[in-house]
Amino acid sequence: MFFIPGFVIALLTFPGVMVHEAGHLFFCRLFKLPVYNVCFFQFGNPSGYVIHGKTENFTAMFFVSMGPFFANTLLCMLFCTGAFLPVWELKVIDPLAYLFYWLGLSIGMHAFPSTGDLSNLWDEAPGSAKRGNILAILSFSLIGVLYLLNFARIVWADLWYGIAVGILGPIALFRALARG
Amino acid sequence: MKRGTCSQCGFSGSVNSFYSFNGSTYCEPCVWKAAGQAKENGQPSEYVSLRDDTVCARCGADGGSIDYPLTGGHPFCPACSQLIYNWPYPPWMKKSLVCLLALLALSLVHERKYFRAGRSLYIGERLVEQGRYSDALPYLQQTLGVAPGSDKAALLTAKAALLIGDVEVAQKALNGHDNGHFEDADGQEFQEVDGLWKRAVGALEKAEQAEKLAQTEGQEAEAARLMHLAASSYPEAPGLAELAEYLDEGAAFERQDYETFLLIAQKQWKDYPSSRTAAAVASGLACKWAILGDPAYKQQAEEMLEKARQLATNGPDEQRALQDYTERIRYRLDSREIIGNNEYNRRFRSGAPQK
Repeated sequence: MFFIPGFVIALLTFPGVMVHEAGHLFFCRLFKLPVYNVCFFQFGNPSGYVIHGKTENFTAMFFVSMGPFFANTLLCMLFCTGAFLPVWELKVIDPLAYLFYWLGLSIGMHAFPSTGDLSNLWDEAPGSAKRGNILAILSFSLIGVLYLLNFARIVWADLWYGIAVGILGPIALFRALARG
Repeated sequence: MKRGTCSQCGFSGSVNSFYSFNGSTYCEPCVWKAAGQAKENGQPSEYVSLRDDTVCARCGADGGSIDYPLTGGHPFCPACSQLIYNWPYPPWMKKSLVCLLALLALSLVHERKYFRAGRSLYIGERLVEQGRYSDALPYLQQTLGVAPGSDKAALLTAKAALLIGDVEVAQKALNGHDNGHFEDADGQEFQEVDGLWKRAVGALEKAEQAEKLAQTEGQEAEAARLMHLAASSYPEAPGLAELAEYLDEGAAFERQDYETFLLIAQKQWKDYPSSRTAAAVASGLACKWAILGDPAYKQQAEEMLEKARQLATNGPDEQRALQDYTERIRYRLDSREIIGNNEYNRRFRSGAPQK
């Protein structure tokens, strides 16, 4: 693996950072959590953030932390699906398709929640699970996997995730459609 | 704004700039000093900053003597309270989103043809996997029409075409793809098609050689042998087996085995009913008439000639060929003499040997 400075990656994939932070903000607004400050993109670490108030509601906490993961994954699949056929299967030179593939992969690359978000969830999940919160019970394995993947970012796990979603997703979708 | 006074130095200012330590109020320099001394004496040294609830934690607005309500432990003025629960998306982001959605919609319309081509590709691929090569070809050709540069579509089209004996379609698909150049020439798909292509081309070369030989009188048996070799090495091409049988028919005539000649002609007529095969049956029956003198053979030969005439609907070439064949059969029926094509030409035509 080779090293590329974080700000270069952030610059190349800035739409993903913005979509990720917009996702946090969306779920904060949805669950009526106070938002103290928002940065959609900056050249620094972190490359974006949403500072919001705490909540005792595990469901709200789950969606505020994990919402961008689902939203970015979905958008990555959507944009890449639009571009997958001309770029990968048909080998057609179509600038619009390449633009969408870049957007899709950028968004997919920034799907993972931050370690801080995962840590908060990990701390709260056992208590909520004991109180019978189904989401807390179900989220254990997902949080665990994402925790590991977050550490695997040093070996480009975020990029591989984006590629997997952006390629395998459309393949599965189009094969299913062809069978239909 | 609430004001505070340092219990040590008497400095006075906004409460927000003061600290509480052991129940007393300190300014920043004094609290460092006091906490340092407490630490040296082994006493607790923690101190906390004082908060002025009359000053908004976000925008710093001064509420005078009235405390702002706390949100998450921080005081916020009414405007900021409104803001933090309804943080707006910046206008540039909204505009970007609208542009992006418009672009996405445009792209979906623009790329409809790719979706259709992709769907055809997957359907074609599935049909090839099921061995339904003839069914797969129209789908794959539709994909190639939109994306001739697609390795997958070109290779699948060539494979399906070669496996039903259609070398022409396979050649068109392969040559239409970057002049026959494929990036992944070591890939399994390419290797499979390459193997099929070489087998088909080898068989066609043999067939061409056999056809040339068949033009030479006395070489019919060798021509038939070569054509059988071609047909067995590329059984997917049904035309080769038919041609091999046709050459067998010629070889049987040449060695004057008219019984076999008629049997093959009848089989060909049954398998591939056409003007040519009907005329061949008439020719065989005319031979039997010539040898045995049984008028039933002559009658049947006449009937088959009529069928051949009725079936000759594929243009002037076919009609010319039938006319040529009919003349020789008529001579046999009239004279009860069996002569080869070259002899017939020598006697009645320009003399150029023809088949």
